[in-house]
Amino acid sequence: MDYQQSERTYDFDVVRWFSIMAIVYLVVGTAVGLLIAAQLAWPVLNFDSQYLSFGRLRPLHTNAVIFAFGGCTLMATSFYSVQRTCGAALWSSKMAWFTFWGWNLVIVLAVITLPLGLTQAKEYAELEWPIDILIAVVWLSYLFNFVMTIAKRKSSHIYVSNWFFLAMLVMITYLHVVNSLAVPVSLFKSYSIFSGVQDAMIQWWYGHNAVGFYLTAGFLGIMYYFVPKQANRPIYSYRLSVIHFWALTFGYVWLGAHHLQYTALPDWTGSLGAAISLAMIIPSWGGAVNGMMTLSGAWDKLRTDYVLRFLIASLAFYAMSTFEGPVMSLKTVNALSHYTDWTIGHVHSGALGWVLMVAVGAIYHLVTRLWNTEMYSTKLVNMHFWLTTIGACIYIVAMWVSGIMQGLMWRAYDDYGTLAYTFAESVEAMHPYYALRVVGGAFVVLGAITMLYNVVMTVRKASAEGRVGESGTAPASA
Amino acid sequence: MSSLGDYFATDWSAMTPQDWIGTILTVVVFLLMVGLYFYALRPKNRERLEAQRFIPFEGDDESFESGDKR
Repeated sequence: MDYQQSERTYDFDVVRWFSIMAIVYLVVGTAVGLLIAAQLAWPVLNFDSQYLSFGRLRPLHTNAVIFAFGGCTLMATSFYSVQRTCGAALWSSKMAWFTFWGWNLVIVLAVITLPLGLTQAKEYAELEWPIDILIAVVWLSYLFNFVMTIAKRKSSHIYVSNWFFLAMLVMITYLHVVNSLAVPVSLFKSYSIFSGVQDAMIQWWYGHNAVGFYLTAGFLGIMYYFVPKQANRPIYSYRLSVIHFWALTFGYVWLGAHHLQYTALPDWTGSLGAAISLAMIIPSWGGAVNGMMTLSGAWDKLRTDYVLRFLIASLAFYAMSTFEGPVMSLKTVNALSHYTDWTIGHVHSGALGWVLMVAVGAIYHLVTRLWNTEMYSTKLVNMHFWLTTIGACIYIVAMWVSGIMQGLMWRAYDDYGTLAYTFAESVEAMHPYYALRVVGGAFVVLGAITMLYNVVMTVRKASAEGRVGESGTAPASA
Repeated sequence: MSSLGDYFATDWSAMTPQDWIGTILTVVVFLLMVGLYFYALRPKNRERLEAQRFIPFEGDDESFESGDKR
C-alpha cells in the first residue's frame, strides 16, 4: 500500500498531532526536570518563589513526562498501529480528536494547578478531583475508540501489540478510578476515601501498576509493532510474545506492596510483592530477548539505522531495569535502598533508558511515514541517540553512587551505637552527584531539543516538497 | 516466624466472603494462565501462532526479511 492509498484508507491526521505534541512535551517535561535537578544541587534556583519551588515543580515534571509526553506518544503510536494491524481506519475520527483536545486540556490544567499548589498529594495522581473526572472521560473515549477499531478489523487475529495496548487501557481505567476516589470539600480540594495503611496500599497498587501497565505494557505495545517495522523483520517469536503478555498482565498487579517494606503494612504483603517481582524477571527478559533477537542475523542494521538503535538500546535498558527493580524489592536490599537516590536512579534507568528511547525511536519512525519523507538530518538523529544514551548513563550512575552512599551513611553507627553521620552531612556528601545529575539531565534535554528541531525541519521539508496528502511514493510502506 | 508452617498458617474460620472470592478468582486466573502457556508452547500450535508474526507487514508493497532461521 503506497502513501496515497494509506492516506485514503487510514486516519493519520490525529496521529500527526499527537506525535508533534509528544515531542513538544518531551522538551518541556525534561526541561522542568533539569530545573528541579539543579534546584536540589543549588537551592538558590528556587528563587524564593512558592510557584517555582521544588515541591510544586516536581509533580509538574512527573506529570509532563509521564502523562503529557508518554500519553501523547501512546496515543499516537496506538492509534497508528491499531489501524495498520487491523487494516481499518479509526472507528471515530471525531472521538479521536476529542481525545486529543481533552488530553491536552488535562495537561494545560496540570500546568496551571500544580504550581499553584492544588494537589491531592498522591504520587503520580496529584491532580484534583475535577481534573480526575476529565481524565476518566477522555481516557474512556480513547479506550472505546481503540476497542471499536479492533472490532471492525479485517483480520481474524488481534496482533500482540494491540493486546498490550488493551491491557494498558483497561487497567489504567480501573487504577485511575479507584485511586482517585475522593470526597470533594470544594472545587479545588478533596480528601481520599482511603486512610492510613489502606491509603498507602491503594496508592502503591496504583503507583506500581502505572509503571507496569502505562510505562511498561503500553510501551511494549510500541515495541512489538515498531521494532519489527523498523527492522523490516517480523518479531522473533510470536509464542514468546503471547507468554510475555499473559505473564506480565497476571504478575504486575501483585507488585505494589514491595514499595511499602518495613511499614505498617502486614509483613506478608511485602514478601508477596517481592516474590512476584523476582518471578517477573522471567517474562520481562523474555520480552526483551524477543525484541532484540528480531535482529538475529541482521545486527549490521544497527550500524546504519539510528532509529533502530534507539529501539534496541531501549530493550537493553528495559532488561536492566526489570532486573534491578526486583532486586531492590528484596527486604535486605530494600533496607539499604529505600528512600535513597538509588530509587531515583532506578526509575530513570526505566524512564530515560526504556520509555524515552523506545518512544523516540517509534516517533522518528512515525514522522518519516506520516510525512512521507526521510528525516531532515540523520546526523542529528545519531547525535540525539548519543546525547540521550550518555545523558541517561551519567544520570543513572550519579544516582546509584549517591543513593548507596546515602543508605550507608544513614545506617552507619559508631562504637557507642549512635549514628555516625548527621542527616545534614549526608546531604552535603550528595552535592557532587546532584551536580553530575544536572549534567546528565542537560544532555537529555539537549537531545530532546535536537529532536524537536529535526522533526520541525522534516515537516517543513515535506510541506515544501508537497509530500503530505499529495502524490508521492512513501520511502517505505508504513 | 519460627517455621515455614507458621508462615503459611491460615485461620480459615476468619475468611470473609470477599477473602474467598478473591482467593478463588486468583487461583482460577492462575490456572487459566498455566493453560494458556500450555496452549502457546504446544508444538501443534506453533505454526498457527507464528503465522501471526507477519500481520504488521500485511498490505505493504515492500518485501520484508522473514528473519526465519528455524
